[in-house]
Formats: sequence, structure tokens, C-alpha cells
Amino acid sequence: MQKKVLTEQALYFGDVSMPKGFEINYYQLSHDTLQSNFTNEKFLFSRTWDMLNTYIREHINLKYTIKLINKDTWGTIYKPLEISTPLLNVDPVDLRNSPDYTLLYGVQVKDCSVRIHYDDNRRKGKSWDIPLTNNQFIMFPSTNLYYLTNTQKDSLNFVQTITYDYT
Amino acid sequence: MATFAKISDSNQVLAVVIVSDSDTQNAEGVEEESVGQAFLEKNNNWPAAMWIQTSYNTWQHTHSSGDNSKAFRGNYASVGFTWDADSEVFWPIKPFDSWVKHTETASWKSPIGDAPALPSEKQTQNNAKSHAWGYQWNETDKSWDLVDAVVPS
Repeated sequence: MQKKVLTEQALYFGDVSMPKGFEINYYQLSHDTLQSNFTNEKFLFSRTWDMLNTYIREHINLKYTIKLINKDTWGTIYKPLEISTPLLNVDPVDLRNSPDYTLLYGVQVKDCSVRIHYDDNRRKGKSWDIPLTNNQFIMFPSTNLYYLTNTQKDSLNFVQTITYDYT
Repeated sequence: MATFAKISDSNQVLAVVIVSDSDTQNAEGVEEESVGQAFLEKNNNWPAAMWIQTSYNTWQHTHSSGDNSKAFRGNYASVGFTWDADSEVFWPIKPFDSWVKHTETASWKSPIGDAPALPSEKQTQNNAKSHAWGYQWNETDKSWDLVDAVVPS
């Protein structure tokens, strides 16, 4: 008896363990998120963002042999007790130009969790909850609907999203 | 041009990059690994000590020029290889759990050695291109299995 996996819905997550002295500058990312939200312009490229993106791409390639290609990125600010709207980063009528993977990175977060919806064959509408903490990433297929729940009471949560294609 | 491998905290090669000669030479114009490492730390945001120079012309402790005294660090590094700082060798990915390091050739060998030579009749069939006999490692039995990779047309 044999088995062939045709596709899988995998969740990749973990810490961004940068070498000492090369840690991700959360202040820079938060600042760029604020700026991009206030000016309504694209998220600025920065050395810090590049370090994060390079770390993810290289480590995913090393461990899972998935070559990620950047698609888009933006930063989001969540107010205390804010629950996001359901989020989906594929456009069902434009799958060709939609990303394969969505990555969420906890820039500066407190009491934040992500609920990812998925189907398990005929068992529809299942979900998986995973906390998002500072300097941690979660990556999953962009076809999965998700939303973020923020239960912090006295601070803003900053989450960086990066979308990828893969080869 | 010089080539450097970027290694992770577990000494695995994350990427291999090429640096121009001018960025790896000291004031006297002599190539120095530390100069290239400093350049990469500054421009590629990764600690200097985690950039290790590698040689495009080296494979299994042999140099493409035929002069093996020029062989450098075992193998040309590639993503997934492991840097062994003690022996100064980039080790390829271990092909099977049971295989062991062969330091003389900076490569992995089966626990029972290389595959034996093909029997002459099989070699004759290969030469006639009617078959493609070869040995394939059987990790379950820890043995070399003789298999025919080509179904004759």
C-alpha cells in the first residue's frame, strides 16, 4: 500500500531567531506601519524588513525546500479588544495574481491570537487557533480565511503581513 | 570573485553569495576572508563569523584544476550543507541515516562501502543500451540492490 500527498494545508510557525546583535528592530517596523497607515502609501522597504523577509525565505527553503517569492507586504495596527474582519488574501476571481502563502509576524503584540479556518475533506468550517507573540511568525496558505483577535487592554498591536508565491 | 556561504546558528548553509574581488581584498590587494566577511556583515545584515568562504572549484577534497593542494574546505557549499568548523569542511546532506562520514573525500559512504562493480553481463547490456543496470542503496536491508532503471523499448 502506498500514499501520495497531492496537496497539504500546512501551518508553519516559530520564532525569528536572528543572531545576537542582528535582532529585528520592532520599533522601525512599527514606525513604518504607522507612517504607511497615516499617509495611505505602500509600506516602506527598510533594512529591518529585509532582514525579516530574508530570514523567513532562507529558513523555509532550508527546512521545507519551499522557495518563496515576495508578493506584497503591509503593516496593520489593532486597537485594544479589536477583532479583525475575516481576512482572505486570495482574490477568488483573480487566482492567477493571488499569493500562495500569507505570513503574519508579531512586531509588537500582546494578547493576540489568529484563528485560521480550513476544510478537512467533507468536514467544512473547521478552525485552528494559534497565539501570535512578539517576534513570532505564522505562515499558512492564502486560501485559508483567518482573523485576528486582540484582547489587550491598553496598547496597540502591530502585525506585519507578507504574502508570497512559491516555486 | 569570491564565494561565501551564509550559515545558520546550527551551521547549516542558508545561502551562497558571490562577492567581487575588490570587496574581499585588503589594502595591499590581497584576498582575505575577513575582509569579505566584514563586507557581508555590513551589506547583508548577518554576522561576519557566519559567512564562510567556499570554493567553486572544490568537490570531495579535489580541485577542478587537478592540483588538489588548492582544494578548499572539502566541498563547494550549497544550501542544506553543514559547516564543520573543526575539520573545516562543508558536508553535503546525508543521503541515508546509516551512511557515515568519509573524511578523506569529504563525502558520505554507505556502512558497507561503495557499490560493487557491475557483473560483466549487466555491463554488456548497459553498453548495448538495452538496459540501465545500476546499484541502488537499500536503507532497510543496508545493502546495494541491483536494479534496472530502464525498461527496454
